Amino acid sequence: MRKTILIPTDFTVNSLNVLKSILVNNQGMQTFDILLVHGISLSDSIRDLLFYSKAKQIESLTNPEFEEACEVIKNKFDSQISSLRIDLFTGYNLSAFENYLEGNKVEQIFTTDNKSVLSNKNSFDLSRFIDKCSVQVIKIDSGFNTIIPEKGKIAEVFMNQISMG
Amino acid sequence: MQMKRSSRTALLFLIPFLVVIFLFSLFIYYSVSSYSENYLFKLLEARANKVARENIDAKSLSKNLLMDNEATEKLPHEKDFFIPINDKLDIKAEAKKVGISQRFFSDAVKNGSAEFVTKQYLYKGIRYKSKAGDFIVITAAENYFEINQAKNLINTLLFAMGIASLILLYIAFYFSKNIFKPISAITEKVKEISSENLHLRLNENNTNDELNQLTMTFNNMLDRIETSFETQNNFISNASHELRTPLTAIIGETDVVLSKPRQAEDYIESLKIILQEAEKLDNKTKALLFLAQTGFNGKVQKFDKVRIDQLLWDVKENLESMNSKNKIYLDMELLPENPMKLKVNGNTQLLHLAFSNIISNGCKYSDFNTVTVSIGASDDFVYIVINDSGIGIPEDEIQYIYDPFFRASNTKNYEGYGIGLPLTRNILRMHNGKIFVNSVQEQGTTVQITIPTWKPEAV
Repeated sequence: MRKTILIPTDFTVNSLNVLKSILVNNQGMQTFDILLVHGISLSDSIRDLLFYSKAKQIESLTNPEFEEACEVIKNKFDSQISSLRIDLFTGYNLSAFENYLEGNKVEQIFTTDNKSVLSNKNSFDLSRFIDKCSVQVIKIDSGFNTIIPEKGKIAEVFMNQISMG
Repeated sequence: MQMKRSSRTALLFLIPFLVVIFLFSLFIYYSVSSYSENYLFKLLEARANKVARENIDAKSLSKNLLMDNEATEKLPHEKDFFIPINDKLDIKAEAKKVGISQRFFSDAVKNGSAEFVTKQYLYKGIRYKSKAGDFIVITAAENYFEINQAKNLINTLLFAMGIASLILLYIAFYFSKNIFKPISAITEKVKEISSENLHLRLNENNTNDELNQLTMTFNNMLDRIETSFETQNNFISNASHELRTPLTAIIGETDVVLSKPRQAEDYIESLKIILQEAEKLDNKTKALLFLAQTGFNGKVQKFDKVRIDQLLWDVKENLESMNSKNKIYLDMELLPENPMKLKVNGNTQLLHLAFSNIISNGCKYSDFNTVTVSIGASDDFVYIVINDSGIGIPEDEIQYIYDPFFRASNTKNYEGYGIGLPLTRNILRMHNGKIFVNSVQEQGTTVQITIPTWKPEAV
């Protein structure tokens, strides 16, 4: 069975732990199309919009550690992941978000109660839309957030063990 | 004596430039002199025409015009000759009289004009037709350029050449010195490195020029030298220590037993202990022999496909059999499904040694708490994360952990030589890998090791 799921991300290795715990706890033969979505407002300047490229924007937001961690997870759960995509949501209101979910055929949304770290000043927290949207939302308990020395390093994805809430 | 390369480069730079400047000056001299000669000849021609008109035509037409002759402007040192062309013309005598070659006359008669140059004078001759018959009109004037300007021009050019070569000399030496400066710096730095401070490296920058490649080659060579050097050191110190412990026990036991006569049971007891220690000694010698046979006997280290998970299982088994108190947990949670992703290009013995070092350190400094070893792989790298809950490394000392023989201040109660980590880092460098150490004192240490995945084309 194939299922499209959406996970909000802030391009930190820590945010991938949600994905990891979903896949670890997925016992059935389900495969996932995963959308890692980051909320960001578009610029108002017409010049910026003229030369706007989503791929470039994503490239400027992401970092090598995050990409490597994505690949590690992808390699581990190769048979469960049919696709993994990083995307930006640039809408302003709930109906835009609903449209986005419908357009991408998202069936489930997974979030944590962790506060996401917004590094870019145009980024916004997707949770205000996720809380109200019509798609099934599953909250994952992130457990107590221990301070570990390897913050930001790829080691983080190996260390955090989150249980399914 | 062989010249230094910098001065040779300067000369090589200088000589072509001097040649160019010399040719340039020659060109200027000849073009200026020929221009001024041409100019004078044109003037002379105009003059010749004019004086011919005044003297020959006027003579035949009206005497009045002759009066103006004195008023017309003469060139400096001008001499005019009028020679009628008729049967009486004796070229030889005329040539002698004027002081020029005979060829000049025949040219003038034949072509209508002729030029002749001496050091002092320029001669221009034209054939002039008048009613009184044809004449050769010769106008001569001072060779103005040769007399007044040539010397000045030559002096100026020589002076400019002198100044230019001085400037060039300075520039050439300045450049050659600057070009060879980085090489001198490398020489200086390499001189500093001896067997005492093999950990020193040359400064690399991020450019991809030849010098940086040279530096990188040097550093790679130093990595290899240092690794083998320290492996030897490590091996010898470990070996001697390991061999001495059972020997000390045997000697001690024998001493005690021999100090006074004892019962037969006591002897048996002592001999049992001695046998036990001797067997340990035997085992260790065998292990050392094995190590010597497989590893570092000065031969070229063979690089091959190595499966990291297999290697780590071997390390775990090995360490746990060496000391039963070692507890190692291999975390396979992020193990990739495709085993190809776990293969790296490396030398099994070296990687084994590197991981043993890190993991056994973890065991040792955490008082034999469980050490977690996690494996994961992206498309390009294999990640191994080794985490222990030991004494950690003080924050201000973490920068020195790769210095050989450095031991953190909180390791007084633990045995060690301070060789393991630098050795591991060098082994990883040979595999193009990286090592990051994160630590919080009294909480634990996390070591993250990254090794590039084996790629078919990399072989």
